[in-house]
Amino acid sequence: MKNTEKVLVAMSGGVDSAVALLKIIESGYAAIGVTMKLWEYNNVGGNTLKDTNCCAIESINNAKLVCERLGVPHYTIDFTEDFKEKVIDDFVDEYLAGRTPNPCVRCNSYVKWDSFIEQADKLGAKYIATGHYAIINDKYELIRGKDKHKDQSYVLWGISKETLKRTILPLGKLTKKEVRKIASDNNFENANTPESMEICFIPDNNYKRFVREYAGDRIDYSDEPGKILNEDGEKIGENEGYINYTVGQRKGIGLSSPNPLYVKKIDSKKNSITVTDKNSLLSKKCYVSNLNWLNNNFKLPLNLFAQIRYNGDISEVSVIKNENRILANFIKPQLAITPGQSIVFYDKNEVLQGGGIIELYD
Amino acid sequence: MMQNNYLYFDIAATTPIDKLVSDHIHDLNKNVYGNPSSVHQLGQKAHNIVSRSRKKIADLLNCKESEIYFTSGGSESNNIALQGILNPGDHLITSSYEHPAISNVAKLLEKNNIEVSYINPDSNGIINPKQIYKHIKDNTKMISIMYANNEIGSINPLDQIIKLCKSKKIAIHSDAVQYVGKKNVDLSNLGIDLLSLGAHKFYGPKGIGALYIKNGIIVKPIFIGGGQEKGVSPGTENVSMISGMAHALEISIKGINKDTNHILEMEKLFFKLLDDTSIKYKLNGENRLPGFINITFFDFDGHSLLLNLDMKNIAISFGSACSSGSAKASTALLSTGMKENIANKTVRISIGKFITEENIIHLVQSIEKIIES
Repeated sequence: MKNTEKVLVAMSGGVDSAVALLKIIESGYAAIGVTMKLWEYNNVGGNTLKDTNCCAIESINNAKLVCERLGVPHYTIDFTEDFKEKVIDDFVDEYLAGRTPNPCVRCNSYVKWDSFIEQADKLGAKYIATGHYAIINDKYELIRGKDKHKDQSYVLWGISKETLKRTILPLGKLTKKEVRKIASDNNFENANTPESMEICFIPDNNYKRFVREYAGDRIDYSDEPGKILNEDGEKIGENEGYINYTVGQRKGIGLSSPNPLYVKKIDSKKNSITVTDKNSLLSKKCYVSNLNWLNNNFKLPLNLFAQIRYNGDISEVSVIKNENRILANFIKPQLAITPGQSIVFYDKNEVLQGGGIIELYD
Repeated sequence: MMQNNYLYFDIAATTPIDKLVSDHIHDLNKNVYGNPSSVHQLGQKAHNIVSRSRKKIADLLNCKESEIYFTSGGSESNNIALQGILNPGDHLITSSYEHPAISNVAKLLEKNNIEVSYINPDSNGIINPKQIYKHIKDNTKMISIMYANNEIGSINPLDQIIKLCKSKKIAIHSDAVQYVGKKNVDLSNLGIDLLSLGAHKFYGPKGIGALYIKNGIIVKPIFIGGGQEKGVSPGTENVSMISGMAHALEISIKGINKDTNHILEMEKLFFKLLDDTSIKYKLNGENRLPGFINITFFDFDGHSLLLNLDMKNIAISFGSACSSGSAKASTALLSTGMKENIANKTVRISIGKFITEENIIHLVQSIEKIIES
């Protein structure tokens, strides 16, 4: 059946979105390629000459080439102000507060999908499509992608159900290998571009530099040099400023010890970090904020499976209400439950039930 | 002009090249390959083409041929003018709605200890000469004001600015890239010191332009080479493009009355047809270049109008574009005091000499369909 509905396809310039566009066209839709410009070179510093980052001019040019090859229009739309306010500012604030944010989740939840739907309305498009590896089924449930190594459902928990109804994810049932083959069979310019692993607005992947430069005077260490504490609160060394550490970090602490040491806690007010051995990093509980339930019929308590980091394993958890807060209580201890990261809940069939932000349980 | 069924209302961005000009350039590329600096006959032939082009342009703009310097376009001309005249400690007066090839140079100069005053245009997009006069100080070395604004099309009273602000120690420059070819220019009577122009705004080729430098004004080169263009813009001359530019300017100036009348007729038709619809709009700017329509549609987002028209194969323009192809609300409009939410509903429609009545009817019908749907 020929489908003449217009679909706005989000084009990062990478191979995934190029194949997503091809799939949309093959399904008979009238596709429009759109690249969201999220940041400006001169605002992010560092080495912007690397060639894999989304929003770099070369990536936008790649998106344009693919669209021209497939005979669809391409537009670049400026979202830099929105992105700065809702993603970059939050990213830096979170680090300054001693937490470890996930900017991709913020972007998907607060910028990308909403802005995209708005653009779709303006251009008379019924649907939007992206190259994420996840599946939306006919009940508009979000399910893990077929390629378990590439599954990106973890970063999509913040999207509303209403928005999911208008979203198409053409790559959900493909593996990355299959996607690369399709790109190569179709002679896409970007068939062999490397995976982008870094945070898009930090092209040199040096988030410490970025936070230092962006925050400037706002980094005000009350205690300098900061202390490295053991679990008993005794000083065992000096740190280089708390923003240089994340919970669960092992490398770069700079202390010698018979057992490897890990960062367990960051105190932004006192500029101190607490380190410990691996066993003490294990815990079972965290609070959850900013919860978004995609399953309308949820009723606590619930026994589910949770994932606490991108590409992390899943683990059984019971989700309960604890004095107006949502508490996630794992059956087995988890390594480095990190405040600021996302906790995403799935049922046994890998259907995403909801997600939220990890808060400290103490 | 319909190209691949595409309707082009964006001649302020660039004009399609005149067929006579492109044929001329093509012929020269095939037949004249000598280096104008070479001693032999092939070199001489190329050299003479450059000389004749310089003379033609000087005649058309009423200046001396020794005052025309060929450059790679408006941006290079502007850079040479500002960086070639100003030194640390000097003061520059410019406007707040110049093209980036002036405004970004001014920002760089500020970092090099050159003082810059930015004059705002009024709500009609015009710079008041008295405002400039008021900002002149002892160390004011240069005034650079665009002849016509590239987004609004408003023409500045350059002659009055020159009359009021001219003194021996202040050099007056104008970025006239939008103006030249659409209006007559008489450089000798205008009394300006430096003026930039670019061929691709008057149906000539891209990548070629000129800087007028009045005899007696000394500019230091900003890059160094073999001494061509008296050292002001060194590098082997782009012979075919230079000749193409001269040819294009000749066609434009000779046809200026006829083309202007036609474009104004098309403008009139556009507004007449628009008034027959229920679309709410406002035309911005005064004393505009013919065919420059900067227009606010109060019930529609400008960027979306552009994209929707593009999908109907009609080109217009919105805001300040950047190399990635994205666009933000026009900085020129904001500098006239327009609120951002209004600027976001404002587009630029620029009508060229090839536009027909039928094209205008199609444009208005398409706009109406998009806005009223």
